[in-house]
Amino acid sequence: MIELEIGQEVEMEFGGKAKVLSVIGSGGQGTVYLVRFNGQKWALKWYDIDKMKKPKAFRKNLEDNINDGPPSSQFLWPKYLTKETEDGTFGYIMELKPEGFDSFVDILNTYKLEVDSLTGHALKKNVRFASLSAMVTAVINIVNAFRQLHRVGKSYQDLNDGGFFINVNTGAVLVCDCDNIAPDGSNFGIGGKPGYMAPEVVRGIAQPNVQTDKYSLAVVLFKLLFRGDPMEGEKVVRDVCLTESAELRHYGQNAVFVYDPADTSNRPVRGIHDNVIRFWRIYPDYVKDVFIRSFTIGIADPTKRVIENEWQKLFLRLRLEIIQCGCGRTNFSSMFVQESETKFRCPKCGMEFATMGFSHRTTRLPLYLGCKFYACDISPDSEDFMTVAGELVENKLKPGVLGIKNCSEFKWKAKMPDGVFYDIFPGKGFPVWQGLEIDFGQITAKI
Amino acid sequence: MSNEKFTDPALDAMDDNLLDFDDDPLSATGVSRKSLVIFFLIDTSGSMKGKKMGELNTVMEELIPEIRRVGEADTEVKIAVLTFSTEVQWMYANPIPIEEFEWARLRANGVTSLGAAFRELNQRMSRNGFLNSPSLSFAPVIFLMTDGYPSDDYKAGLEELQGNSWYKYGLKAALGIGQEANDNILAEFTGSADTVVHAYSGEQLAQMIKIIAVTSSQIGSKSMTLSDDTGKELGEDDVFAAKQKLLGQQIQELVSSQTDGSDIPFDTGW
Repeated sequence: MIELEIGQEVEMEFGGKAKVLSVIGSGGQGTVYLVRFNGQKWALKWYDIDKMKKPKAFRKNLEDNINDGPPSSQFLWPKYLTKETEDGTFGYIMELKPEGFDSFVDILNTYKLEVDSLTGHALKKNVRFASLSAMVTAVINIVNAFRQLHRVGKSYQDLNDGGFFINVNTGAVLVCDCDNIAPDGSNFGIGGKPGYMAPEVVRGIAQPNVQTDKYSLAVVLFKLLFRGDPMEGEKVVRDVCLTESAELRHYGQNAVFVYDPADTSNRPVRGIHDNVIRFWRIYPDYVKDVFIRSFTIGIADPTKRVIENEWQKLFLRLRLEIIQCGCGRTNFSSMFVQESETKFRCPKCGMEFATMGFSHRTTRLPLYLGCKFYACDISPDSEDFMTVAGELVENKLKPGVLGIKNCSEFKWKAKMPDGVFYDIFPGKGFPVWQGLEIDFGQITAKI
Repeated sequence: MSNEKFTDPALDAMDDNLLDFDDDPLSATGVSRKSLVIFFLIDTSGSMKGKKMGELNTVMEELIPEIRRVGEADTEVKIAVLTFSTEVQWMYANPIPIEEFEWARLRANGVTSLGAAFRELNQRMSRNGFLNSPSLSFAPVIFLMTDGYPSDDYKAGLEELQGNSWYKYGLKAALGIGQEANDNILAEFTGSADTVVHAYSGEQLAQMIKIIAVTSSQIGSKSMTLSDDTGKELGEDDVFAAKQKLLGQQIQELVSSQTDGSDIPFDTGW
């Protein structure tokens, strides 16, 4: 392959030159450089075309993707192609990863290595989600990004832990390595990792497509929530050494989910898979059931795999069911004592939580200081799960009095103890009380 | 109704402290990682003295931070260095995680006991020895560097080693340094000629060590990378030693893309 030198200038397809500043990293298909182009810093991915099976078709696909633009703002999308060199080598530039995002790899490791430039020593720095809400929001964002991608008829092809950056404070997600994205059904010879690839791809009988993406997505979600491999249990560990044929067996021919209800041969092993054992107990059944479906009937029958919209709905529900107790305990409502249909109690400190029901769904929102609901919760037409519509706050002028603040741009109506509905304008709020009812317009809510 | 959600007896039995510790969905530890041990077998016989050893020490020091980046989330890379001259000796008593590994500069002296090195490697390359990770392991990477003809019965040592499953599935590569090193012997060790390379100059030595060490640890620390256009159901035979084949291909590609070093060969000017 032709490597670029620091200081070298690369001609861009539509004029101008990108100057190579440093190496960012290298992967299976080529090397990523930091470059300056048009007075701005960019990342340049420069391909090793010798490793490509169809470089011309690959370049054409990349060009199509650039022209189509990203499916949503969650993608670090290719921006401009370089000119081809005489031997056909080329690359593309994309925006740099913004500050504040950590790689999915570092999140799974729970730390990242920062190398001291003076001594060369590597220091471990913790990488953890700031809150449970941020973690579930990240899950929703990942699902949503793939929903958007599949909606425009494309597949990601080689979904794995190297493909995402996540902001651990907000749950914002950036999908990177978008250069293998291709229209569903076409493929330019990308390989993959058996742990993430659908079994039929590992076995060599299918090419990556939207259905295999769905399998890989389920693996990514499982790893993020349960912090382990859905197919690595007793059966796999007994082999000791993960040879190529062991991988073919455990991730292809005979993949068994660690919590397959009908097959206990591959359960997680204490001392090795402690995360999975611990977290499997915590998550509510409606989440576990969908993972079970993905990794049992979804293995053999790609059409039975969970669609993104279903994942999105269930994780939106999961985020609403988080309870952050005053004693410091934060968990899903399923891990709190359910006192009655509308009340939860903290098993640790005994604090009680009322809940609010919404007219368009059956699940209820537990109320605690700092709890939020989103634009999609108060309007049936909205799919916006990132913009906060309302939050439970303490009145700044009357300490100890809790109420709901209207963070949306719309006027709400709220029923006060005198039985009258009052207008609640954006930025205003109202106290929470036993008989509270809120009218958001098309949707109503009630304690 | 009140205890409906808490019918799990294991949960009821827990005292508050344990419940507290155990049920925070954010309290994850790192995902269980597969371990990969990279074995360096290094000739420290007298003939390695001077420029060769100086070059080797320097490139190894520089190399460690580069290999550090190859491990992915699910791989923990460890390093073990076995030197052989008249005696065989491990640099450290156990494989050391790459984040903590510090290269101890080597010195050259004595004869080339390659057979003894093979035997020592065979003994340590076991579940009771250096490959004692409780979780899954990838097959090890074994990288041999030598500049001379073995002074002991290397064949007997190699035969013992060849009976070791870790060796069988491991990724093997070798570097011959200077005119004396015999590539055929090295190919006997790796099992294939394409994972053997040769360096005749200091510049080449540094290049080749980097190429082999980085490529083999990249391939060794990842799951098998599959090409997806096979079009037929893969069997065990199709994937056997797939990584070793890939290593051979990549080493050859990289080696052929290197230009010849223009500095003075090791074997002249003594």
